[in-house]
Amino acid sequence: MSAKGPYRDIVLDHHRAPRRRGRLAPPAQSAEGVNALCGDQLRIEVRVEQGRVVAYAFEGTCCAIATATASLLGDRAIGGDADDLGALERRFAALVAGEIAEAAELGALNALSELARYPARRKCALLPFATLRAALRGEARTTTETPA
Amino acid sequence: MNAPLHEASPTFDPLRARADFPLLTRSVHGKPLVYFDSANTSQKPASVIEAVDRFYRQHNANVARAVHALSEEATTAFEGARAALARFIGAASPDELVLTSGTTMAINLVAYSDLLPRLQPGDTVLVTQMEHHANIVPWQLVCARSGATLKVAPISERGELIVERFVELLTPEVKLAGVTHVSNVLGTVNPVRELARECRHRGIPLLVDGSQAVPHMPVDVQSIGCDFYAFTGHKMCGPTGTGGLWARRERLAAMPPFFGGGEMIREVRFSGTTFADPPHRFEAGTPNIAGFVGLGAAVQYLERLGMANVFARERELLAYATDALRSVPGLRILGEAPDKAAVISFLVTGAHAHDLATLLDLEGIAVRSGHHCAHPLMQFFGVPATCRASFAFYNTTGEIDRFVAALDKVRRLLV
Repeated sequence: MSAKGPYRDIVLDHHRAPRRRGRLAPPAQSAEGVNALCGDQLRIEVRVEQGRVVAYAFEGTCCAIATATASLLGDRAIGGDADDLGALERRFAALVAGEIAEAAELGALNALSELARYPARRKCALLPFATLRAALRGEARTTTETPA
Repeated sequence: MNAPLHEASPTFDPLRARADFPLLTRSVHGKPLVYFDSANTSQKPASVIEAVDRFYRQHNANVARAVHALSEEATTAFEGARAALARFIGAASPDELVLTSGTTMAINLVAYSDLLPRLQPGDTVLVTQMEHHANIVPWQLVCARSGATLKVAPISERGELIVERFVELLTPEVKLAGVTHVSNVLGTVNPVRELARECRHRGIPLLVDGSQAVPHMPVDVQSIGCDFYAFTGHKMCGPTGTGGLWARRERLAAMPPFFGGGEMIREVRFSGTTFADPPHRFEAGTPNIAGFVGLGAAVQYLERLGMANVFARERELLAYATDALRSVPGLRILGEAPDKAAVISFLVTGAHAHDLATLLDLEGIAVRSGHHCAHPLMQFFGVPATCRASFAFYNTTGEIDRFVAALDKVRRLLV
């Protein structure tokens, strides 16, 4: 196990210097992801043209895991087919649950695989995926916390 | 008080006490464990673990039901634990102590049995801004059933109850006040004797949540002068699923049953049932017998250490840690009451509490992060979560040094 657990260098880098932080000029689809128990609040905006993700931005107050995942997810989503994001989310969920070791299509997101050992923190990494999914479906708000 | 606080014994040896806790010798992620989460649950000394083990190996039977030898032994052990606990908190008699699964059940018992039948629309229940959810939500539930409302006594930026505001809020429509003895987040020790006096003058029953007090200081419920005192066993070196509610005999005698079932009855007929006297009236069903036997052993253990020694040792650790944490850049402590238990909630600029706690865990250091079951208090300070290091007498200054060094290291990773 790494001495830094889920905080690999690439994760820390995207936490300290997140890519695509901010808002998009309209038109864009957006959603809020809120994990109230953690205190994480995330807003993701996305623009899809002819089925492709052409712009992505996020902002919010989140832990390093959620921030880095939101940043890495933007890198991965841009230029891709919006319809493929559901499959990507399922692969990522399997990765952080420890059900798969790595998956080529996840690219740099594989850096979060250590979360398999930190079940309490999985919801942090899943929040950006769920928020992006909500934005694409036109849902205003989502969470990855089960009601407590 | 059982023993004046200044009577700490110079012969108390905290390192010998530490050796009584088998779990504290283990490693986490390849590093010696530093357990700074005792406000969440304490570790257990060998004598408690052995008492539970011995009960199941030699004495296990149900209580107060059968005439055979094992049942007599189990009943004697269970009631012996009640007597030890009652003595430990200064109750006049074991009959004044209802054994519950913990503080939460104790407060719910008061909410539904004592308070709800008295509540009318327009009545209020008074709590403070620093309460644990267990001393908020039960009152909200009974308020919702009766048309009563909850009101909240404010605290200062330093995390102290503003006593004069609390007293002003003790108006005639207040049917009960609930106050924590010691804040689980801030460590603030509330002036419960003074609050009890003010409540008593106005005929308002006061419930004190003693979850964070009984494990850490001498407590004498009679000298506090409150009406109800709730506490939990697992924070005071006992097993989980144990705790108690203290109230004077006449108060308990006036309360109807809350849970119905076996154990709490005198005679059951389909035409009507008569109930046992307190405290058994409130103890329906088979209790956590082995757990209370373990809690009885925990009381014996703490009495042997001496609560004045426990109190003095933990204050030393608090002062040492508070001072050492000043060296960490960007660190802010929430809760600066002069009278404070060994709990330090903190924030570090630019670092989320959960990230700090996960990275500290990798260094073998267990702290809690999150809202600490106190959302309204987090809202007051305008933060989603804090990290909390909480100490017990079995911790050491060497562990605090490791914690502070590790905190500085992980802070550098994040900021």
